[in-house]
Amino acid sequence: MTLAERIASYRATLEEWLRGLYHGMISHPAYEKIEAEAEDLEDEFMLACFPDAFGVPSPVSYYTAELLPYLQDEFEAWERRLWDRSTLVERKGQQYHF
Amino acid sequence: MDRYVFFGGKGGVGKTTVSSAYAYKCAAAGLETLLVSTDPAHSVGDLFEQSFDDDPRAVEGVEHLSAMEIDPDEEVSRHLQDVKRKLSDQVSAAMVNAVDRQIEMAHGTPGAYEAALFDRFVDVMRDGDAYDRIVFDTSPTGGTLRLLSLPEYLEGWIDRLLAKRRKSIDLFEKAAIGGREPRRVLEGDPVLAHLRARKEFFEDAGRMLREDAAFFLVFNPDSLSIRETERAIDRLDEQGLSVRGLVANRFTPAPDPDEEGRGATYLRSRVETERERLETARGELSPPILATIETYVEEVRTDRLASVADELEIDVDRTRRPTS
Repeated sequence: MTLAERIASYRATLEEWLRGLYHGMISHPAYEKIEAEAEDLEDEFMLACFPDAFGVPSPVSYYTAELLPYLQDEFEAWERRLWDRSTLVERKGQQYHF
Repeated sequence: MDRYVFFGGKGGVGKTTVSSAYAYKCAAAGLETLLVSTDPAHSVGDLFEQSFDDDPRAVEGVEHLSAMEIDPDEEVSRHLQDVKRKLSDQVSAAMVNAVDRQIEMAHGTPGAYEAALFDRFVDVMRDGDAYDRIVFDTSPTGGTLRLLSLPEYLEGWIDRLLAKRRKSIDLFEKAAIGGREPRRVLEGDPVLAHLRARKEFFEDAGRMLREDAAFFLVFNPDSLSIRETERAIDRLDEQGLSVRGLVANRFTPAPDPDEEGRGATYLRSRVETERERLETARGELSPPILATIETYVEEVRTDRLASVADELEIDVDRTRRPTS
């Protein structure tokens, strides 16, 4: 193995490590955070559409029921999430990696 | 232009008689007229002694007049079937249950009835190209008023839903850095498409109600009915819909001057109070009273309709709809 090849393979490894480090420290938590935020917004949307799922009567659920065929996966996931979610702090705290 | 004419008022004041008489008047003036009843008790059929259903059908014996009766219950269950069918088209059977329960629940809420009626109203107005005039004999006051205030309220509400949905999808797209597949995409999102279609529907409804509709209220000469009418006028005003005129129905006929006895005395004093109440109504209510109709001893049927129609001083605008 020539010196040039050794340097190249060393650099490749280093680059991979750095990318991994960057991914782990910066980009992964970042998009996880954004995704969690998006999820929260989606939850808000679902709650606005189907408050009666939690016992709050809604005069417009007749119309929002029309959306359910397209939202069925989200609906089930959302219902589970909301029943499980104990506090807002717990939910917001999840995104921090200590 | 008054393509759509609504008759409202408290239960039992004679909306059906008045709206039928108006429709009859329009038809007699040569306008192709459709009479739509939304009262689940369906008295239009009784009045014409024919049966009507959900589809417009020509009224026998009256030219240019068609009638239909909307059953909100049926509308709700049809909507329920519709949504369920779409659901089973989209989903595997295992997923359906939780969502199914939600759909059933949505169709059991008090608002469902009104929403179904509203949808049907708007459909009739939208598909009413064959008619020069559509006359609605509405269900009693409270329900109807809420119905007419729906478009504005729902438009704003849908706007907020659209904004929320757009924002969350936008974030999902942003979260997909480095070539990951975003969990949801803005392009072709069926929920957004559906909300937009609904919004358009409400906008259409709002426009038709504000621009092409006229509202009349029917009341009886008693103080309860007059107060209710006053409230109805205020509430319609709040929606930006002005009441064109009032029709006072069920006046007691006066006895002949030479008649004496208990019956005649009773009638005379009744006529007197009713006249006073009518004066009060004239003074306190701002829309003009366009007709005062006497009580008929027998139920009004087709043959009597013409004479009721004559008493209605609502001007039938004889111009036909411009054919575009």
